[in-house]
Amino acid sequence: MVLVSAVRDYVNRMLQDISGMKVLILDSQTVSIVSVVYSQSELLQKEVFLVELIDSISKSKESMSHLKAVYFLRPTSENIQHMRRQLSNPRFGEYHLFFSNMLKDTQIHLLADSDEQEVVQQLQEFYADFIAVDPYHFTLNMPSNHHYMLPAVVDPSSLQHFCDRAVDGIGALFLALKRRPIIRYSRTSDIAKRIAQETAKLMYQQESGLFDFRRMEMSPLLLIVDRRDDPVTPLLNQWTYQAMVHELIGIQDNKVDLRSISNLPKDQQEVVLSSEQDAFFQANMYENFGDIGMNIKRMVDDFQQVAKSNQNIQTIEDMAKFVDNYPEYRKMHGNVSKHVTLVTEMSKIVEERKLMLVSETEQELACNGGQVAAFEAVTNLLNNESISDVDRLRLVMLYALRYEKESPVQLMQLFNKLASRSAKYKPGLVQFLLKQAGVDKRTSDLYGNRDLLNIARNMARGLKGVENVYTQHQPLLFQTMESITKGRLRDVDYPCVGNHFQQGRPQEVVVFIVGGTTYEESRFVALQNASNSGIRFILGGSAVLNSKRFLKDLEEAQRIARTSSSVV
Amino acid sequence: MATRNRTLIFRKYRDALKSVRVPASSSSASASSAVAGTSSGGGPVIEMVSASLLHPNRSYAPLSTEDPGNSSKGAVTVGLPPAWVDVSEQIAANVQRARTKMAELAKAHAKALMPSFGDGKEDQRNIEALTHEITNLLKKSEKRLQQLSAAGRSEDSNVRKNVQRSLATDLQNLSMELRKKQSTYLKRLRQQKEEGQDGVDIEMNLNGNRSKAEDDDLDDMVFNEHQMAKLKRSEAFTVEREREIQQVVESVNELAQIMKDLSVLVIDQGTIVDRIDYNIQNVATTVEEGLKQLQKAERTQKQGGMVMCATVLVIMCFVMLALLILKEILF
Repeated sequence: MVLVSAVRDYVNRMLQDISGMKVLILDSQTVSIVSVVYSQSELLQKEVFLVELIDSISKSKESMSHLKAVYFLRPTSENIQHMRRQLSNPRFGEYHLFFSNMLKDTQIHLLADSDEQEVVQQLQEFYADFIAVDPYHFTLNMPSNHHYMLPAVVDPSSLQHFCDRAVDGIGALFLALKRRPIIRYSRTSDIAKRIAQETAKLMYQQESGLFDFRRMEMSPLLLIVDRRDDPVTPLLNQWTYQAMVHELIGIQDNKVDLRSISNLPKDQQEVVLSSEQDAFFQANMYENFGDIGMNIKRMVDDFQQVAKSNQNIQTIEDMAKFVDNYPEYRKMHGNVSKHVTLVTEMSKIVEERKLMLVSETEQELACNGGQVAAFEAVTNLLNNESISDVDRLRLVMLYALRYEKESPVQLMQLFNKLASRSAKYKPGLVQFLLKQAGVDKRTSDLYGNRDLLNIARNMARGLKGVENVYTQHQPLLFQTMESITKGRLRDVDYPCVGNHFQQGRPQEVVVFIVGGTTYEESRFVALQNASNSGIRFILGGSAVLNSKRFLKDLEEAQRIARTSSSVV
Repeated sequence: MATRNRTLIFRKYRDALKSVRVPASSSSASASSAVAGTSSGGGPVIEMVSASLLHPNRSYAPLSTEDPGNSSKGAVTVGLPPAWVDVSEQIAANVQRARTKMAELAKAHAKALMPSFGDGKEDQRNIEALTHEITNLLKKSEKRLQQLSAAGRSEDSNVRKNVQRSLATDLQNLSMELRKKQSTYLKRLRQQKEEGQDGVDIEMNLNGNRSKAEDDDLDDMVFNEHQMAKLKRSEAFTVEREREIQQVVESVNELAQIMKDLSVLVIDQGTIVDRIDYNIQNVATTVEEGLKQLQKAERTQKQGGMVMCATVLVIMCFVMLALLILKEILF
């Protein structure tokens, strides 16, 4: 509940002291921030009768001075320009301005200059600058996520923009939690180091007054890692509910867009998957596909029972009871249809793309050894006509990431086969991935085959056997969390910024993955938190990835790298 | 959670900048502010005049009455709202009154269900009156709620729609509460009725037993009369209760009707319609769609078959008229 309740508290405080009819004006980013934690009906209860985007409100000329305007914006220069224009021609009675991050003095100056009518009643900074998709998972929804893969010389301004947004988001998170952390970062990643250093500068030098909170005995830990340390997790196919929906269909701000599927009634074309509002989803979001099927069947049976009893109305009392329970019944009906639609659609996709077959090989590539067997399996699947292009690409990438150094000849064979079979494959993408995230570039031991202890651990796991072949993969984040829990996060791999150092185990840890998180990782974080180990983990990233998004980022980065190198 | 209030700094900058700005337009400003000051008690017309002096760029908006002149003195006033806000305020007042009456009704229900020595007709009447009042309030509010529906796609209509939704939710919650209270009261009434009958049966059994212990003929007749009197009383009692139950059922049905009408307006929580970003998007797309529909309608109207038919007929009329005249002339 931590992240969601933090943002909700901010929104509540914004609205509570202002009486009368209000209009809430947001920008394109704060819309997502507010929509995932606050519903329209709750806004109506707080007498907010109109919600608008700041760009569209500039176009209208209607004067509505009986409304009080509450603005919640990010402090960007475009927003300040919009505000200036609106303050010079005020349409509303009162103006209450809230910004989601720190304002510069020049910006306040500009706003004060335009406020000739003196309509602004208050100007505050409420640090809700991140999208709290789940209680322990946040994202920054950065549109051009691929910039982290490119060196600084290629496009320094975009990279600076990327870093600034990350630093703003992380700073806002810690202000919302009222903590100042010790910062560690992944050694091999330049961008992680840069973000870590800029965050440290912000928290300890530039705004040290603002961040000066009461010190707990143990400072929390902020760990900044790079997506490229674990490129395997976003490429894998998922089999737990939330992760699977995102992988196969796509979740954006806890909404699923089903408009591409035909024959759906209008109210099911876009659905909400939020653990806060949907009890069934909360209970099942981390369950695997087989269990979900059974639970949904049980839910449908319960619902059919209720529906049958509703049809059996004989006395006036029954009728009265039906009308009493009608809202509940309608809600249950909507919920059941939603989940049944999702699971049906996903089953269809699994069937079409033969994902059971593909995923088995993927998990083998990610978890177990055996290069020869792996090569054979991948070759067979590449030859299989019914496998889609994107699945072939993923298989070759997973093989390449694992067996990069063993048998380069066979690797080349796979590349050639992939290029010949997939018409839309952009040549060199796999090689680009290896250049970005190959074995030399990664910080830690992704496959657990570098040091003796890990090899032994893997062998033990192999002997024990797994309960489910499809969910046997554990992301690198899981091992990192275990190391932190045991207090054994290596300084060599994850140095501290500045002269801080970590004594013992922290009680709160925020892991920020530059390049994006996945729902598989957030599942491991949630399960770890539920296991009461004494440490609370929070996960965040610049975006929430699925394989499609990760591949798109790779392609974009490759394209820019090519054009820049051809220019040079 | 940390926040930082920048209002003081903002005000400081604003005052500083104002003092820099004011000397440039001091003459005109002081003249018009004098006018505004003297006419602050006057009607909207005078204020609008001063407004145009101060802000020649602002267009005159006859429907809204703003207070721009006084704002420079730091006292901001919120302008007068449009007319439909009165309707919404009335509905809100009704809802509030209905709530207080519901509290009274709960007390009256409790009092009526307690066993009493009187025949409780006073209580029944009180309950009936209260229930009627509340139901009427709800019905009236629901009818007026329909008045708030707005056509068109302006921002004002969005505000109206949202106010309507919010009031609809309140009304629905109230009517559900009323129904629940009534159904529990109904249930307890029925229970009491059965108990009443049982009580009479027990009494009858007791008397029956006693009758065996007494002498036969005379005592039988006396007991029969006694029993008959008791039966008649219990009959009247049940008839009374029956009538009450009937009335309660009636009001339950009325409320069901209200709820059905309201359910169209109320937002289902947890669905996509309850998402802020969905509502913002929808406004944008429906505005565009509305424009497209209007254009399409215009086009089809122009191409309308009706129009063509009418023109053809008119032409035919003229042609016939011409033929007729020709015929007259030639013959």
